[in-house]
Amino acid sequence: MKIKYLAVGCALVAATMSSANADRLVIKGSDTLGAKLVPQLAEQFKAQHSGTTFDIAAEGSTTGIAAIIDGTAEIGMSSRRAKTSEVGAAAAKGKHMKPTIVAYDGIAVIVNSANPIKGLTKKQVEQIFTGDVTDWSAVGGSGGKISIYTRNTSSGTYSDFKELAMKKRDYAGGSQKMAGNEQIAAEVGKNPNGVGYVGMAYTKAGGVKVMPIDGVTPSIKTVQGHTYSYWRPTFYYTNGEPSGLAKEFLDFTIGPGGQKIVAQVGFVPIK
Amino acid sequence: MFRKKLTFAAIAFCFAFTGIAARAQDAGALLDLLVRKKVISDQEAEEVRAELTKEAASTAAGKWKLSTPINEIELYGDARMRYEYRGGRTASNDLTNPNDWLERHRQRYRLRIGLRGTLADDWFFGIRLETSQSNRSTNVTFGGDSSNGPFSKQDDGINVGQAYLGYKGFPDFTLTAGRMPNPLVTTPLLWDDDINPEGLAQQWKHTFTFNIGGGAAAAPSYSKEGYSKDGKGVVAPPAAEPFKLKLDVFANFAQFVYDDTNPENPIGPTPTNPDHDLFMLAWQVGARLTFPNNVYIQLAPTLYNYSGSGDSFNVPFQGDFTDTNQTGINNLLVFDMPVEIGWKLWELPMRIFGDFAVNFDADDRAARAGHPGSGGQRYAYEAGLGIGQLKAKRDWEIRAWWQHTEQFALDPNLVDSDIFDSRVNMQGVAVKAGYALADAIIFNLTWAYGWRSNGNFGTGGVGDIGINPLDQYQIFQADLNVKF
Repeated sequence: MKIKYLAVGCALVAATMSSANADRLVIKGSDTLGAKLVPQLAEQFKAQHSGTTFDIAAEGSTTGIAAIIDGTAEIGMSSRRAKTSEVGAAAAKGKHMKPTIVAYDGIAVIVNSANPIKGLTKKQVEQIFTGDVTDWSAVGGSGGKISIYTRNTSSGTYSDFKELAMKKRDYAGGSQKMAGNEQIAAEVGKNPNGVGYVGMAYTKAGGVKVMPIDGVTPSIKTVQGHTYSYWRPTFYYTNGEPSGLAKEFLDFTIGPGGQKIVAQVGFVPIK
Repeated sequence: MFRKKLTFAAIAFCFAFTGIAARAQDAGALLDLLVRKKVISDQEAEEVRAELTKEAASTAAGKWKLSTPINEIELYGDARMRYEYRGGRTASNDLTNPNDWLERHRQRYRLRIGLRGTLADDWFFGIRLETSQSNRSTNVTFGGDSSNGPFSKQDDGINVGQAYLGYKGFPDFTLTAGRMPNPLVTTPLLWDDDINPEGLAQQWKHTFTFNIGGGAAAAPSYSKEGYSKDGKGVVAPPAAEPFKLKLDVFANFAQFVYDDTNPENPIGPTPTNPDHDLFMLAWQVGARLTFPNNVYIQLAPTLYNYSGSGDSFNVPFQGDFTDTNQTGINNLLVFDMPVEIGWKLWELPMRIFGDFAVNFDADDRAARAGHPGSGGQRYAYEAGLGIGQLKAKRDWEIRAWWQHTEQFALDPNLVDSDIFDSRVNMQGVAVKAGYALADAIIFNLTWAYGWRSNGNFGTGGVGDIGINPLDQYQIFQADLNVKF
């Protein structure tokens, strides 16, 4: 009889644990997505799905993709595409990296609002961030040594910007690597000679202004139409087709409710 | 879903039939175009891209990860199997063994494998691993280390043959540092081509093109086949070939570290005449003028000099007897003039090549060798004819030349180790013939016969045949080369 009770007890505990796991979603990856957008999406989702909890870690796209490969997250946020080496590593572990576009983003080049410069060309952006030019006077500014702020190397934005704006060349030696978009915006806002790049959601920070690139400013229209040069898709990566809570949250993100939040936060909706 | 599969299949088909590894990056432009044309959505494009990336990751190329700063990388090398006969005869006045031959038959191999590539921001690099520790050879002799048991691996070492870094960021300039392929235009008269000098090199090259007349379309001539009333069937005769001249002007400068002094300042009293590192300096300017129909002439006058003493080669060159002062580089101020004239006859490349060198400091070199008044032994030259080329399967080539080197003309540490056994004061003939069994497989035969140029002197230098003077010398080599 005691054994019977014990078995029932174990079954109940197991069912409880299973239920708890099913309502907890682990999301890791991009700071661009994870600092603002995904937490707000999670809050809204929780309001509609009581009992659901989220574990969100936004430490860069590389960590999100690694989390899918390692199986430590259900969703990997990424502001860049998975590299061939990452896809290969996933395949070696029997994982299939499936990307789903959840929003578009424009990587905005920002300067201090006191900087008199009105805009930059793609060539000038490349020259600035690679260190080919080191003084604002070389790109039409009023003079002063350019201070460059970039993301750190685990950031998808770091590699995306290299590819989109720098012909994959190395960043200038003296560039300062920051942990997130907000830190870059804050530093550029404080430094009259600062320049950096942030996702569109972070352009409202005080003391900064957005540079038109070849005359085009990042906006919903220019990013959706792909006419702004530094546009990019942002992704949720899952191991194959998502299921369960991960699928529900992904569907919510790309659905009307989620895309409304996407726009509110400052990203560009996919439709 | 069907559209995505169709797109994936179409892109995979394209890559398969163009022989390019299917990579998502390669498909990017095509996918972007399909999205712009609204044939597929961004999401569908991403899914196709992910599939292609997965496919690429499973290929050999996809598994080979290169660091980001590498723009391009090339794996290359060669392997060679060789049979060699080499023999030298003692002088007729040799006190113990006059007119006796010292002969060697060797089966040898060599392996060279390298990586070279370009990096971001106009930098480049190269490394090459080679068998043999010798400066003038990459050969390993089969069974040559049998003192450690048969088939020992003691002399089958892998050594760094080349390790260099360079910059091409300035137009027309190439700057190189390290252990590098010889940056100078040379011939085996002065330089063994296995030598990879160490130090710095600066190269400049600029091409001028001149159009001299010609090029105007000739007036149409109406042949029976070409004439038509409405003119549509008229085929204009080909334009006259413009007479183009291409002039490549180049300058190569080198500062090679010939011998490092260790230490410059020893413990104890500072030496009165301290040794310093020995540098070999080279200044070369030249030009190659190319006429139509592959006719060209190239000149590359060069001056070599040495600075500092080092601690291995600062004993004055003597050159007369075995292993005594054979390698000194004192009193060498060598002017060298390699020349090559090429043309094509019946589509067969031909060329005359030659080299002339003179040591302006030969008087002192001879005097310090114990032969005052023999400074006239200052010249070296070669002249030959080459026919054919070895570029593709069934190509063939033959070269024959005469070579003459006087005792005080050249640095004996650099001259070719095969023709004639790393020696100076030698003259004779050499013939090389090659046939390409396949694009990458070359069969070569080499034969050379030489003798002492001047009987009053030894044959300076250290070679494989351990006799001096080397009164007569003969070498035969049969090589099978695999290049990749």
